Amino acid sequence: MKLTGSYTVPGPRERAYALLQDPAVLAQCMPGCEGLDRIGENEYAMRMKMTLASISGRFEGKVRISDANPPESFRLMVEGSGKIGFVKGDGLLTLSPAHGGTSVRFEGDVQVGGTIANVGQRLVETTARMLIKRFFDKLAAAASVLRATESAAD
Amino acid sequence: MIPQPFDYYAPATLREALAMIASGEHKILAGGMSLVPLMKLRLALPEHVVDLGRIPELNYIAESGGVLRIGAMSTHHDIESSAAVRAHCPLLAEAAGHIGDAQVRNMGTIGGSIAHADPSADYPAALLALETKIRIVSANSDRTIDAAEFFVDAFTTALEPGEIVLELQAPVEDQGEGYCYEKVPHPASGFAVVGVAVRVKKAGGKIAMARIGITGMGPRPFRDSMAEKMLESGTEIGQATQSIGQGEEANSDLYASGDYRRHLARVHAARALRTALTRAS
Amino acid sequence: MATTVSKPDLLVGKSIRRREDPRLLTGTAIYLDDIKMPGMHHACIVRSPHGAARIKSINTKPALDRPGVAAVFTGADIASLGAVPCAASLPGLRVPHHHLLAQDRVYYQGHPVAVVVATDRYLAADAADAVEVEYEPLPAVTDPEKAIAAGAPAVHPEWADNIAFTFHQEGGDTAQAFRDAEVIVKQRITSQRLIPVALETRGVVADWRPGEKSLTLFSSTQIPHLMRSLVAGILGMPENLLRVITPEVGGGFGSKLNVYAEEALMAFIAKRINKPVKWVESRRENFQATIHGRGHVDYFELAAKRDGTMLGLKLKLIADLGAYHQLLTPAIPTLSVLMMPGLYRFKNVTADIVGVFTNCVPTDAYRGAGRPEATHGIERMVDMLARELNMDPVELRLKNFVGNDEFPFPTATGLSYDSGNYAAPLKQALAQAGYPELRTEQAQARKEGRLMGIGIATYGEICALGPSAALPAGGWESATVKIEPSGKVTVMTGASPHGQGEETTFAQMAADALGVGIDDVLVVHGDTAVVQYGIGTFGSRGTAVGGAALFYALEELKAKVRKFGAMMLDTDSVTLSGGACVDEKTGKSISFAEVAAAAYHAKKLPPNTEPGLVSTHFWEPPNFTFPFGAHLVVTEVDRETGNIEIKRYIAVDDCGKIINPLLVAGQVHGGVAQGLGQALWEQAVYDDTGQLLTGELTDYAIPKAHFMPWIESSHTCTPSPVNPMGVKGVGEAGTIGCSPAVVNSVVDALAPLGVRHIDMPLTPEKIWKMIAQGGQA
Ligand SMILES: Cc1cc2nc3c(=O)[nH]c(=O)nc-3n(C[C@H](O)[C@H](O)[C@H](O)COP(=O)(O)OP(=O)(O)OC[C@H]3O[C@@H](n4cnc5c(N)ncnc54)[C@H](O)[C@@H]3O)c2cc1C
Repeated sequence: MKLTGSYTVPGPRERAYALLQDPAVLAQCMPGCEGLDRIGENEYAMRMKMTLASISGRFEGKVRISDANPPESFRLMVEGSGKIGFVKGDGLLTLSPAHGGTSVRFEGDVQVGGTIANVGQRLVETTARMLIKRFFDKLAAAASVLRATESAAD
Repeated sequence: MIPQPFDYYAPATLREALAMIASGEHKILAGGMSLVPLMKLRLALPEHVVDLGRIPELNYIAESGGVLRIGAMSTHHDIESSAAVRAHCPLLAEAAGHIGDAQVRNMGTIGGSIAHADPSADYPAALLALETKIRIVSANSDRTIDAAEFFVDAFTTALEPGEIVLELQAPVEDQGEGYCYEKVPHPASGFAVVGVAVRVKKAGGKIAMARIGITGMGPRPFRDSMAEKMLESGTEIGQATQSIGQGEEANSDLYASGDYRRHLARVHAARALRTALTRAS
Repeated sequence: MATTVSKPDLLVGKSIRRREDPRLLTGTAIYLDDIKMPGMHHACIVRSPHGAARIKSINTKPALDRPGVAAVFTGADIASLGAVPCAASLPGLRVPHHHLLAQDRVYYQGHPVAVVVATDRYLAADAADAVEVEYEPLPAVTDPEKAIAAGAPAVHPEWADNIAFTFHQEGGDTAQAFRDAEVIVKQRITSQRLIPVALETRGVVADWRPGEKSLTLFSSTQIPHLMRSLVAGILGMPENLLRVITPEVGGGFGSKLNVYAEEALMAFIAKRINKPVKWVESRRENFQATIHGRGHVDYFELAAKRDGTMLGLKLKLIADLGAYHQLLTPAIPTLSVLMMPGLYRFKNVTADIVGVFTNCVPTDAYRGAGRPEATHGIERMVDMLARELNMDPVELRLKNFVGNDEFPFPTATGLSYDSGNYAAPLKQALAQAGYPELRTEQAQARKEGRLMGIGIATYGEICALGPSAALPAGGWESATVKIEPSGKVTVMTGASPHGQGEETTFAQMAADALGVGIDDVLVVHGDTAVVQYGIGTFGSRGTAVGGAALFYALEELKAKVRKFGAMMLDTDSVTLSGGACVDEKTGKSISFAEVAAAAYHAKKLPPNTEPGLVSTHFWEPPNFTFPFGAHLVVTEVDRETGNIEIKRYIAVDDCGKIINPLLVAGQVHGGVAQGLGQALWEQAVYDDTGQLLTGELTDYAIPKAHFMPWIESSHTCTPSPVNPMGVKGVGEAGTIGCSPAVVNSVVDALAPLGVRHIDMPLTPEKIWKMIAQGGQA
């Protein structure tokens, strides 16, 4: 399943880029993420609890950042598996200056397997989009907070 | 059904139920038509289930002061067949009649349907077109919000942990209003690929009021106020519906792409409007 | 032996209500899941969530530690047992060893990896969730054409090209026919993968009796006797210590014409744990682990003269077999080849099959099994040729049908069509439809910009499977008739009906033959300890082969009853009628019960006659039967949405003589429903990694009652010379005639836009796009 989208994050591109590389920020923004532990260069073990409507599932997996080209682009790979299925997302994030901040364009491929893939056809795409949107909403919030604290510090 | 083990509670009063769910750890069971299939697939793994089915005070349909009040535990069948709904909000009865099959309509409830907020559910289109309000209560709160605020995203509502949907409040439709719910059902699930609910009032051969609620097309139901305004200012139906869903995200699945869904929303909005006009006086 | 006494109440030919129905409709029938036994355990199967993966490790301990768990079995426990059997054989066929449980790799989603056995079903399911399997996912391939392309991942590492077999068949001189052709029409036509969706999923109960060293296996199957032989083989146990019983079967459609891993597994487990064990398939398992049907990609070429004379037909058939061979997997596409000439007088036919492994659940026989694919292909091709020649599709068909005087007709694919009058059902359908008026109406509709279509498909099918020479495990069928001492009649059929209604039709036959009331006849089936060996029900054979066996068993028994009657009435000409033996000359009679009692009490016996009244007949059919028919479908396509409305559905089927019109109507209706399913809604979709995306009924669209058009069903009758009743078989007819008629109709509706072909299912979005793009797919 191919997914694309673009979201605006407040603040300059360099800062948006830095935020996106920061495991603490990633952990905070990824829906349901309960922790990211560094296991290698730009690679983290992830624990996640997904809750959506009545559905809930725990996932364990990995997050990896590669092809870093600051502050323009990088690849983000997220994979997780649990009892209800497995998910693998691999996307290129491209950052460009935009009105009011930085535009982050996402172009990726999401693969879903197991129960969620077998019974959730009607909903997987909608859900995937929603989760990505939640990620960027939180990222935007984190960026605003950061900007607020920065300007307070000035 | 072979779910994981869970504790089952069947409170007899609303008070008792609200006290039980106050912690936010308990899952509410209404008609079970959405929750039980998920438990069966082991996608939903609640440990505590609180059944609202034994609380008589949640099951009523009554009109007073120009508002039709529907208790959350009213089943789709109750709504479809209620004389009060048919008289005061026939659009809602028509939408209820399109839900699933007879078994589902006998078990499923309106409170459960909106709380579940399936993006392909039928009611939301009608609730938006009817400008319904939703009363939400918890052990220590009681608030009433617009349906438009209630539906936040796919499977996501304004409900907070510990809250339940208590009642739906729909303003009684004026005499002479025309209405129509048009649905394109998914051939497998029966859910709405697209569902369009419309209300119209005629005055002097023109459309004086139009309401259009759309479900199934995107991640959440929406009202198309732009098309409504165009119709109210005399734009012909074909043209007014051309822009429906513009700027709204559209869902894709194996059966129908987002583009096709958007197209269906337009076609069926036009058809629903035409039917509604023939029903209006 | 002419019977002169009037036959006021013969039952054959009458619409007798199904004797099976009261118990089914009142919920008192016993299905597999109704079986309960003291100490019975429950099995839950852990299945692969991946389409292809290496199993790195399996940890069963967390499951074993859970309450109520008796045992957990994995591939290592069953490695020495036999494999899931494939009965079909073809030259050069590659047969992967199909273990009951995966060994070090899984090959499709749903592949069984472990079995957890516990004291109840809930505990078993909880424990199955606790089994930890570590997989290393591998590249998968799920599309048969991609699977044979260079560089595709190998489904089975030992066969890099993914080709399970190739098969070539040629009749006449196709090359010459194509050189002589004035017109050649070519098209790629697919018959998409379908999921059979029997309402009752599969299920097994195995009961080991240590004292007797015997095992009773209850299974929801179409083939109890074959299952007994094959499961005994897998387990290495004596066949006569294994008993297979089929309880009520809630639909099979071919999906239960098989021996699956689970049957042998439960038998093995019951013996191991020394307790009865039950396994009932969930719907999701049913989608992932019970055979699918179809999955053919056909490249057709049809050569003809400008006057419409069809000269030759070429087919390249790429068959998606899935990851393994189930019982008949590789044989199904060969049935397509046999029937590819349809009802036409082709002299020159060439077919090449490539059977392809994919990381999907195996395909096998699904209602029609190879014939719907063939019929769909040829009937689409004929319509395309008609268009090319600017000829009416009816005229083109009539011109090329095998003539009434040409039977038995030898086909270019080596068959001998038994009997036929192929124009008759077509003409009847046209008359019923008012064909010329319909065409006028269509012309008018087109002027108004409406998209109205008229589609015709004629079909021939190969039924009454079949002579033993043509089938892997025998093609005969058996029947025993017993007249009990009280005069009650028990029929035991080796066919194992499961919804077809032979408890009714066979009782009609027996009642007529013996002159007794239908309520005095009981039809017994589906228990290998009670019923003599038989082959089973599939391939529209129940009545055409099983009924013929019964016919002869009845004839033999009748002769014996007459002997007793004649002795007792002291005459030499006796008929059986009205529950009595009647002396034709004097009209004197003696009740059937008295005759039966005399035969068992045996105080006095006719000359050279044994006591008792039992006869058994094993009947070997000399040929297949070839039913045929014509379906005519009127559709209207909604220009704005692409939605298809079926305005009329006319089915004229010729299944030879009809024993019970009500049951035949039921078969036609059910068959058409499944045909419409394929034409309009159903499709099993795997993604590239092997995930079954249509994994539940929420996404896989089977037809519902309210989707069905009114079916105007009627018949012509051309008796078959193959069996004494003249019947041909009707179980699959509806499915076979339907899909090409519907697609021809919709293509006809869209013809003004230049549409020439559309692959199934005809989903509204597909049609809408075609309309939007002016006919381009
Ligand atoms: C075969 C089938 C076909 C269907 N087809 C359609 C269709 O065509 N159109 C359509 O709209 N729907 C369809 N449905 C869904 C059906 O309408 C459900 O009844 C409905 O979505 C949920 O209502 P319920 O009462 O069954 O709720 P439940 O399944 O009991 O609960 C659903 C969710 O809502 C929560 N909940 C329930 N009541 C409340 C409350 N009062 N306050 C807060 N939370 C609550 C529960 O905790 C749960 O999370 C179908 C369902 C099935 C099984």
